[in-house]
Amino acid sequence: MPATASRRRTKAAPPPPPTGSSRRRPIELPLVERLLAVAMERGAEFAEVYAERTTTTAVVLDEGHIKSAQTGVSAGVGVRAVRGAQVGYAYSDDLEPEALVRAARAAALIADGHADVAPVKVSRQAVPQHYRVVHPLADVEIATKSALLLRGNAAARAHDRRIAQVMASYADATTTILVANTDGYYAEDNRDLCRLHFTAVALDKKTGERRTGSIGGGGRVGLGFYDELRPEDLAKEAARQAIATFGAVDAPAGPQTVVLAPGWSGILLHEAVGHGLEADFIRKGTSLFAGQLGQKVASDLVTVIDDGTVANARGSLNVDDEGRPGERKVLIENGVLRGYLYDRLNAKLMGQRSTGSGRRQSFRHAPMPRMTNTFLAPGDATHDEIVSSVRRGLYCANFGGGQVDISNGNFVFEVAEGYLIEDGKLTAPVKGAMLIGVGPDALKKISMVGHDAANDPGMGTCGKDGQSVPVGVGLPTVRIDGITVGGTRA
Amino acid sequence: MTDLELAQKLVALAKKRGADEAECLVERGRNASVKVRGGEIEDLTQATSKGAGLRVFVGGRLGFATTTDFTEGELPLFVDRALASAREAAPDERNGLPRGNAVKRHPEAPALGVLWDPRVAEIDPAWKIAAAREMERAARAEDPRVTKMDGASAGESVEEAAIASTHGLAGRHRSTSAWLSCSPVAEGGGQLQTSYWYDVKHALADLATPEFVGREAARRAARMLGARPVPSCNVPVIFDPLMAAGFVSGVAGAVNGDLVFKKASFLTGRLGQRIASPLLNLVDDGLRPGGLATSAFDGEGVAQQRTPILEGGVLRHYLYDTYTAKKAGAKSTGNAARGYASLPGIGTTNLTLERGTTAAAELVRGVKRGLYVTAMLGRGVNSVTGDYSRGANGLWIEDGAFAFPVQEVTVAGHLDAMLQAVDAVGDDLVFLGSTGAPTLRFAELTVSGK
Repeated sequence: MPATASRRRTKAAPPPPPTGSSRRRPIELPLVERLLAVAMERGAEFAEVYAERTTTTAVVLDEGHIKSAQTGVSAGVGVRAVRGAQVGYAYSDDLEPEALVRAARAAALIADGHADVAPVKVSRQAVPQHYRVVHPLADVEIATKSALLLRGNAAARAHDRRIAQVMASYADATTTILVANTDGYYAEDNRDLCRLHFTAVALDKKTGERRTGSIGGGGRVGLGFYDELRPEDLAKEAARQAIATFGAVDAPAGPQTVVLAPGWSGILLHEAVGHGLEADFIRKGTSLFAGQLGQKVASDLVTVIDDGTVANARGSLNVDDEGRPGERKVLIENGVLRGYLYDRLNAKLMGQRSTGSGRRQSFRHAPMPRMTNTFLAPGDATHDEIVSSVRRGLYCANFGGGQVDISNGNFVFEVAEGYLIEDGKLTAPVKGAMLIGVGPDALKKISMVGHDAANDPGMGTCGKDGQSVPVGVGLPTVRIDGITVGGTRA
Repeated sequence: MTDLELAQKLVALAKKRGADEAECLVERGRNASVKVRGGEIEDLTQATSKGAGLRVFVGGRLGFATTTDFTEGELPLFVDRALASAREAAPDERNGLPRGNAVKRHPEAPALGVLWDPRVAEIDPAWKIAAAREMERAARAEDPRVTKMDGASAGESVEEAAIASTHGLAGRHRSTSAWLSCSPVAEGGGQLQTSYWYDVKHALADLATPEFVGREAARRAARMLGARPVPSCNVPVIFDPLMAAGFVSGVAGAVNGDLVFKKASFLTGRLGQRIASPLLNLVDDGLRPGGLATSAFDGEGVAQQRTPILEGGVLRHYLYDTYTAKKAGAKSTGNAARGYASLPGIGTTNLTLERGTTAAAELVRGVKRGLYVTAMLGRGVNSVTGDYSRGANGLWIEDGAFAFPVQEVTVAGHLDAMLQAVDAVGDDLVFLGSTGAPTLRFAELTVSGK
């Protein structure tokens, strides 16, 4: 196997330059405690120090070759001071104590008084382990990572002669975070995250038609993960998608019965309800789900769960970015709204407790409530029962991205691979389709839920207010009656 | 040691340790912002950041490393990481750094307009707090149905970059920017509607007033109350300047020279052809005076320029960085976009759809039944196939006037057909960020609704 061969070769060559210990703590405890005290100097109620050290690798394959490999090191500290709903935040990537004290003073400015601060003492919390990776990704030779791309490239091109281009990338991050606050909490977490991604472009030389297929996979895992989810299989799936949509017909427009394939289609939940349940929007009253606790917001068949404890999943958290353990939360139960996603600040202001949902992109950002892995609980129908129940409709096999406006609840998501359903059978592929709806409306129209729950392969990234975080989504096969399909055939 | 000296030192060290060619980009910045809600300060953020990206070529192989750690002990490790990563890449004869006049003769600073404003660099936090409060006040004053705020923010950033290479490149660039942003929520008839407006400029004197930003954001939110879907139809569709800017960004994605070379753009092989309405003139202007993306040189030190993309609907140029230009047998158009943490990739600078001659109000008056789009959801543009489909919000037009707000519909077409379908261009060029466009009307698009 190429991976083994290259590992041997690398061992025979001079050792690679040290990247520093990839699990090194960014700053030490006494300095953390000092920064907390400084952040409280002007009378804040609460202060927090978040420190992070990240080592990244990225490899890009293009036109059949490894085009580039890169490594990066980044470290920094963010200090937050809170008084009521007011937040002062400052960060620095200069880890010298004087620079960090300056940052803590800047954060403290949110309060305008003076306080005699007692020394702050924090004690280390035991942290659950949902994704222990023994061999940090940062310590694996780049050649091993490149080999995954080369294997996938060969498989995609061998899949069909019409595959004209394969673009592939591998990216990982090995991160150590440390978070401590004036409640006395202190937690550390080691996070290894990787993702392999393939895009295939198929070209029909006769018609000039071009189609694309795309898929990624990964998680909070070591590289052994790709012994199970083989790069060949991922790449072939990208190639299959590209080929499958040749000769696609224009998507029919207007309300239709739609069947969603299991897995990545969970992005529907993420957009249609997930964001609207984040406590910052609820507290400000800007989400249409504000004040709806205990109300029926979806069909009886709908139970939505956000679970930060799924083993090795992309969105999982041993502790969130405020040091709280990740949790499994039932957000909607049999159609009834049961809870929101809370970070510490919004929980405190709303008289609730944090649900371990405080997340941030990096030390450069203050945390906010976010999803982790969000999925729909399975029902009891089979995939075939659901498809064959539809006389006329659209089957959505794969999706591009989605977006939501949390105030009016409008959401969209792009159908990357779709088929017409005619008399209970999949027929012609369609192109250019998009689903659009209003969150609660769409959830009320869910009429069948399959028993075939599946999670996405580990490729989702969620953006909110300019911050990106890795997330997971999942869904069994689902039938939705009368959702609007945006197409080109009115 | 200045940042340029640091870049030069790292380049020399890389050469000494075995690089054939080397280039280093060092960036340093600080930013601060204030967010106000209900008159109270909700967030105060202040930050400093720095980083370096080192690109090396060894035997035609590309290596790249980044760091935020400038301590003396880290530098040789940083250089060695870049060299080590080069060993992992395949050799490519088209690899290499730009050289010659392109990296040595840069446009003179005065022609670029004001990119650095000391008033922004030394802005008083009290000004930002007052500006944010003013936006909030103006938003509520504009329409009583504005009952909630997501927030009103004001901030500034100050950035400096230095770049050096083994081919004599020694460039320095610095800029300031000040910004305002307001996001009000209007409430009525059981609906919530949110919108936003913002502005960002290098110079404080060019920035929109907080009053204008607040009122514009409120107007956009409040007029959406009562929005509903319309039945599916093929009708004239108008994009307001903000949406038109998004549309031309999608078009510009397809003139990316790399995608074109790989035949992964629907505009491959179309140079010199009339691909769009004769009304369309699209230019990527890296030298637009005072433009947000204006700079003497791009992300790899190549002089920026003004590149026409569409002239009277004829496709004139693709956009290139040095590597893809070499592949395609073309010249770099100075479109290497990057921060220190990424390798150069092709991006637009100040992308401008030039203004037309028709008053924007006339564009609406000329429509019997149609949709005026003011907000969109989803990326929706596939530059490989040219398929275009996005969720849309806006106002329904009946007999040349706005009739009622619309949501939960999509607008779809194929970029080829959409570009040809433009039948009017407004005279109201709006420049937000680094993309500018006027109101744009399409003779017919597919609107999918109930």
